[in-house]
Amino acid sequence: MSEREVLDLDVLFVGAGPASLAGAIHLKRLLSKSGTEASVAVLEKASEIGAHSLSGAIVDPRALRELFPDFPDTDFPFEAEVSEEHLYYLTENKKIPFPFVPPSMNHHHCFVTSLGKLTRWLGNKCENEGVDIFCGFAGTKLLYEGEQVVGVRTGDRGIDKNGEKKPQFEPGADIRAKVVILGEGTRGSLTKNLIDRHELMQGCNPQVWAVGVKELWQMPSGTVPPGYVAHTMGFPLGQAIFGGAFLYGMQNDIWDLGLVVGLDYQNPGVDSHHELQRLKNHPWIRSLLSAGKMIAYGAKSLPEGGWYSIPKLSVGGAMLIGDSAGFMNGQRLKGIHLAMKSGMLAAETTAEAFATGKFSESDLADYDSRIASSWIRDELWKVRNFHQGFDRGLFGGLANAGIGLFTGGRGWGIKNRLSSEAGHKKMQKGVKKNRYQDLQFDGTYLFDKVTDVYYSATAHEEDQVPHLKIRDQDVCVSKCTEEYGNPCEKFCPANVYEMLPDGDGQRLQINFSNCVHCKTCDIMDPYQIIDWVPPEGGDGPVWVNL
Amino acid sequence: MDVLIVLEDNNGKIHRMGLESIAAAQKLANGLSLSMGALVMGANGDALAKEASEYNVGEVLKINNEHLSSYSSDGYAETVKQVIEQENPTYVIFGHTYQVRDYAPKVSAKLMKPFLVDNVDVRTNEGNVVFTKQMFNAKLSADVEANSSGPFLVSFQSAAFSMDAAAAGSVSIRESTVQLDTAMIRTKSEPPFQEEVGGVDLTSADIIVSIGRGIGKEENIPLAVELSKALGGELAASRPVVDSGWLPSAHQIGSSGQSVSPKLYLALGISGAIQHVVGMKGSKNIVTINKDPDAPIFEISDYGVVGDILEIIPKLTEAIQALKN
Repeated sequence: MSEREVLDLDVLFVGAGPASLAGAIHLKRLLSKSGTEASVAVLEKASEIGAHSLSGAIVDPRALRELFPDFPDTDFPFEAEVSEEHLYYLTENKKIPFPFVPPSMNHHHCFVTSLGKLTRWLGNKCENEGVDIFCGFAGTKLLYEGEQVVGVRTGDRGIDKNGEKKPQFEPGADIRAKVVILGEGTRGSLTKNLIDRHELMQGCNPQVWAVGVKELWQMPSGTVPPGYVAHTMGFPLGQAIFGGAFLYGMQNDIWDLGLVVGLDYQNPGVDSHHELQRLKNHPWIRSLLSAGKMIAYGAKSLPEGGWYSIPKLSVGGAMLIGDSAGFMNGQRLKGIHLAMKSGMLAAETTAEAFATGKFSESDLADYDSRIASSWIRDELWKVRNFHQGFDRGLFGGLANAGIGLFTGGRGWGIKNRLSSEAGHKKMQKGVKKNRYQDLQFDGTYLFDKVTDVYYSATAHEEDQVPHLKIRDQDVCVSKCTEEYGNPCEKFCPANVYEMLPDGDGQRLQINFSNCVHCKTCDIMDPYQIIDWVPPEGGDGPVWVNL
Repeated sequence: MDVLIVLEDNNGKIHRMGLESIAAAQKLANGLSLSMGALVMGANGDALAKEASEYNVGEVLKINNEHLSSYSSDGYAETVKQVIEQENPTYVIFGHTYQVRDYAPKVSAKLMKPFLVDNVDVRTNEGNVVFTKQMFNAKLSADVEANSSGPFLVSFQSAAFSMDAAAAGSVSIRESTVQLDTAMIRTKSEPPFQEEVGGVDLTSADIIVSIGRGIGKEENIPLAVELSKALGGELAASRPVVDSGWLPSAHQIGSSGQSVSPKLYLALGISGAIQHVVGMKGSKNIVTINKDPDAPIFEISDYGVVGDILEIIPKLTEAIQALKN
């Protein structure tokens, strides 16, 4: 009963997001065109496809049109085509429209989309193509033969909080595959190990992340124009913190309100959830939302580093796609089309490899070249210095981005490449400024964090080892408290970390069952001692339309 | 018959959720004057049939078959399928137990008929039957009506109906047969899991004394134990207490613990986070003691005291003991 099962496959995608699903569809078609019999599967840690999918989102349909050339746009599961778009600079009480929306931020012919709806739709297409999708199973370990990746081990089930086997213990399975394609999303645990082991970030700028938090608001009938798009800068983040807000009109009178906060701020007290609540205090937002009801909450990190933060993408037997690789255009606020395209290019490399029967590092390096000669590179190259400009604040960043439009993306108009520093290193010690002393949660319009977490519908088997591994908790209760004031309590948008009094001292409590799988802690911890690993398969948020 | 209730064996007695499903079936049948029957099977069939015949269930149908002496999902699914074909009920009612979750989907697949799971209510509306089930982590309730003909398989959530509401009666027992052979039984079940040692059944408690973060430290837990003993109730807790390891997880109330609806719920030092409230808001009387007058728990309380539980609990225990003497 407790022997580890071994499953032999040909290609395994890890993580059923847009990158993997598009890649799997494309691969199945390529293989069947060349008459190759090969099994393709997708592993997904959520209980069903889409339950862990969260994005803004505005989708550029380019990759979808390539994947489904015969489909009219109306067949895609979009909310609505962007019908009007606004860009505002917010002060605490006012909104000042930008005189024009710069072409780089223009969302014409793009579509307001729920990523969860899109992934569920793609999942169906996958199954029609004969791709196996295993939901409720997380990949927890890469299997190696020498330096060649040969598969993925899935997580054990039925281990109690002390690490002992429960009666229903089931060991994870070893899924062996000739090619493993990691589309785990941002800061995937397998991806992190792969990058470290093969030193794939050598020569790159460190990746810089942001965290996006959002709420969906159900409004009275007929009050939300689908396809309405507004982006803002300024309040509540101010000029020192990278990021901004978005407000999108969805179908069925739902407002999609979110805030992106760069994970490279200096004040350790910054709390993305609280910033979102502050944003809702803006009179303009209040006038739009106050007649509605909040129905869903979620958070996710996103890679902002751009072209120079993209690692080497292939090793023997494995490739990185989508957010795992860092394919996001920070200036256009879009990554879904890049993710899908990267999955499709990895599929093309894989199909070639099956033709020759070779899957070594040099064979799969074909994928790096395909990316370098694709429209992904064209698009990201133009904005390769975008994020770095914000090291000099909001206006520095905008100036740099503006000049970049005329110089093909050169930093400050002259430099080909601006360097950057990992975001967590920018956090400053001893900053005590509390940004939230005036914030009052009323439970109906402004919500405290635990209440918002409830609306993510996240749940975890409580009797398991916490999936947030902290290498040395002594650092938390002594050094970190003194130096940074325990920023984990703030940067986690789901109230996972809590410092509690314990006798004369204090202790760290990890409320792991609140976790919404955004990975912010793994990214932003100033000592880099938190490892996010997948909990038991099927656990986590249950997002419907985020 | 129109309504078939499938009862489950719990060590020679009818499973509590079976009795609850009798109450549900009676509500359904009475609303539309439908005929009922209750199905029992397995090694303890005789004892179950006798117990079931003391309820107002129309008649009891007993299946004896050597292949049903121990539980198997194949055997039970095939049996229920054949009984449905013989009796042609419109509604087949189950309690939403682990066993039902195991085999009832197979019955649904065999018959290509829908299985409406984990309902919390049933009612009739202008001659139509309306089932209610919770969605999105119990944030919404959905009403479901059929637009096809039966049979429909329907299961009810634990404690959706009270077993006390099952009306007594005296009905006859009819023996029936099904055709099973060894080849049909492809699965062999291992013995059921042992319940957690020291497990408590909070869902059937009338009085619950529940403690939260306000209890302060582990050394104060005995104060709450004394109070729950004095009241004759069960001890429960909100998440922080369990997370701190002061009580086992079987005592936890809320979205990641048990859902309860006792006659009296004493919330001591519990702030009332929504995750806790969804597990106890159905309580008939909620009495709260909390230091913080703004604690959200007061909004759903019938009675509230703003004060320090560590001062009040011992006095309350004393007063209740004095009253009892």
